[in-house]
Amino acid sequence: MLEVASLVTAYGKIEALKGVSLSVERGGITCLLGPNGAGKTTLMMTIAGILRPRRGSIRFDGAELAGLTPAQIVARGVALVPENRLVFPQMSVRENLLAGAYQRSGASEIAADTKRLYERFPRLSERREQLAGTLSGGEQQMLAVGRALMSRPRLLLMDEPSLGLAPIVVDEIFRIIAELNADGTTVFLVEQNAHKALQVARRFYLMEQGRVTFSGTPGQLAEDEVIQRAYLGTRRAAV
Amino acid sequence: MIDFVQNTLDGVMIGSSYALLALGFTLIFGVMRRLNLSYGPTIMIGAYLGTLLNVQLGAGAAAVAGATVVGAALAGIYVERLCFAPMAAGAGIASMVSSFAIWMQLEQAAILVLPRHTYAFLPLTTGAPLTLGPFLVRLDYAAMLVAAAALAAGVYLILYRTRLGLGLRAIVGNPVAAHLAGIDVRFSTLTAFALASAVGGVAGYLVLAVDQQVTPMFGMWATFKGLIAMMLGGLGSIPGALLGGLLLGVVEAQAQWYFGPHIRDLLTYAVLFLVLVVRPTGLMGEAPPADAAAPGRA
Repeated sequence: MLEVASLVTAYGKIEALKGVSLSVERGGITCLLGPNGAGKTTLMMTIAGILRPRRGSIRFDGAELAGLTPAQIVARGVALVPENRLVFPQMSVRENLLAGAYQRSGASEIAADTKRLYERFPRLSERREQLAGTLSGGEQQMLAVGRALMSRPRLLLMDEPSLGLAPIVVDEIFRIIAELNADGTTVFLVEQNAHKALQVARRFYLMEQGRVTFSGTPGQLAEDEVIQRAYLGTRRAAV
Repeated sequence: MIDFVQNTLDGVMIGSSYALLALGFTLIFGVMRRLNLSYGPTIMIGAYLGTLLNVQLGAGAAAVAGATVVGAALAGIYVERLCFAPMAAGAGIASMVSSFAIWMQLEQAAILVLPRHTYAFLPLTTGAPLTLGPFLVRLDYAAMLVAAAALAAGVYLILYRTRLGLGLRAIVGNPVAAHLAGIDVRFSTLTAFALASAVGGVAGYLVLAVDQQVTPMFGMWATFKGLIAMMLGGLGSIPGALLGGLLLGVVEAQAQWYFGPHIRDLLTYAVLFLVLVVRPTGLMGEAPPADAAAPGRA
C-alpha cells in the first residue's frame, strides 16, 4: 500500500533520513521502532508532506506522494496523528474533529462520522464543547486520533501515541489501534513502547541513525534484542 | 463633566476605526505570528487608488470607498506574496524587515503616481451633527462607529461560523497540525491577509473621509495607530484589538482636550508603556503557545 524507497530528508546539511526504504502492507499494523534521534518522526513528517524529501520516493497505492502538499496527501487518504498530539488548544473538541474533516464536503456524512466517533470515544462525547487544551493527555491523544479519522484515511500514520501517558491509558490507546485496524484501516505506527508494539504488529522495522537496520515479523528477533536496539541502538548495545 | 463625556463619546467613535485597524493587524499576526509593518502603507495604497479615480475620472464617494477597500486588499496580497509567503518558517525577522522595505516602496509608488504632497479626500457626509441633549454627535463619526461594529461582527462570524474561519483558527492554534488536518495553510493565510487588509481599508477610508485629505504619510499613521491599539489590547487577540482601539481613541480625545495635541501623543505612548510594563502581553493578550515557532508555519 505504501512503498518508501531510498528516502533522504535533511535539515540543512544534516541528513536525518539517509536512504530509507520500507513498505506498509494493506490491512495490517506495521511498526517502526528505534531510539530517539533515529529519524522516525522525520520519516512520518516526510510521508505526511510537512517535510520535503531531498531524494527518493513515497508511493501510495502506486501514486507518488513526494512533492504534494500536506492537504493533498490527506485528500489521497493518508492521515498522521502527530507526536505530542498537537490538538488545537483554543478550539472545542467538536471543532477539532470538524477541522479534521476540512477536505471533505457533505455536512450530513461528516455529522454521521462525528456521531460514530463519539460512540467510539465516549469521553470525547462528554467533553464535546470543552476546549481541547483543557483535556488530559489521554483525552487529547484520543482527540488527535479522532481528528485524523475524520478525514477517512485509508492509511493512518501514528507517531508515538503512547508518549507520556499512564499505562492504563496506553492499554486503551492500543486497544483502539487494534479496533481501527480490525475495521479496515491500515496502520503505520511509530512506537517507543517496543513490548506493546510487537504485540499488535504484523511486521516491524528497526531504524537507527537514519537507516532501516532490521525488518521482519515480531517472532524473528528476540524481544530483548528488539527492546535493546529500539531504546539504545546497536552501537551502544555492542559496547 | 459635559466635556469629559463629550470627549469620551468622540473618543469611542474615533477609536472604533482604530479598533478596525488593530483588528486587521491582529488577524495577520495571529495567523502568521509575524508583524506586517507595511499594513498601514497597504491601506494608503488603497486610499491613493481611490484618490486617483477621484482626481482623474471624478469618481464619487462610493467609488472612492470601494477602490480604497479593494486596493488595500490587493496591496495586502502583494505584500503577502513578497514578504511572507517566500520566507521560510522561523524567518520572522526577514519577513518583518522586508515588510519595512515594501513600506518604503509603496510610499514611493504613491508619490510617483500622485506627486503633490496633499490631496483632497471626499467626505462621507457634510450633514449637521446630531444633538443628544448637551452632546454633539458628528454624522461621519457615527458612521465610523456603525461600520466598525458591523465589520467586527462580520469578522467574528467569518472566524467562528465558516469553514475558512475554522481553518484560520486551526492555523493560529497549531500550524503543523493545521497542515495535517488537510487545511490549505498557504491559501488560507493569503485569504486572511486580503481580508485583514480590506478591514484596514474600511478603517482607512472612514478616517480619511473625516480628515478630508490624504498624504503618503497616511501609511505610517495607520501602522502606528494599528500597532499601538493592537499592543494595548494584546497581540493576536480579537476582543483585545477592539478594546485597545477604543481605549486609544478615548485616551487621545481626553488628552487632546485637556492638554493639547503634543501632550496627547506623549500621553498615549506613556499609557502604552505602562500597560506593557504591567501586562507585557497587553490587556487581553495571552502568552503565545510554546510551540508558536514550530516548523511549517508558512
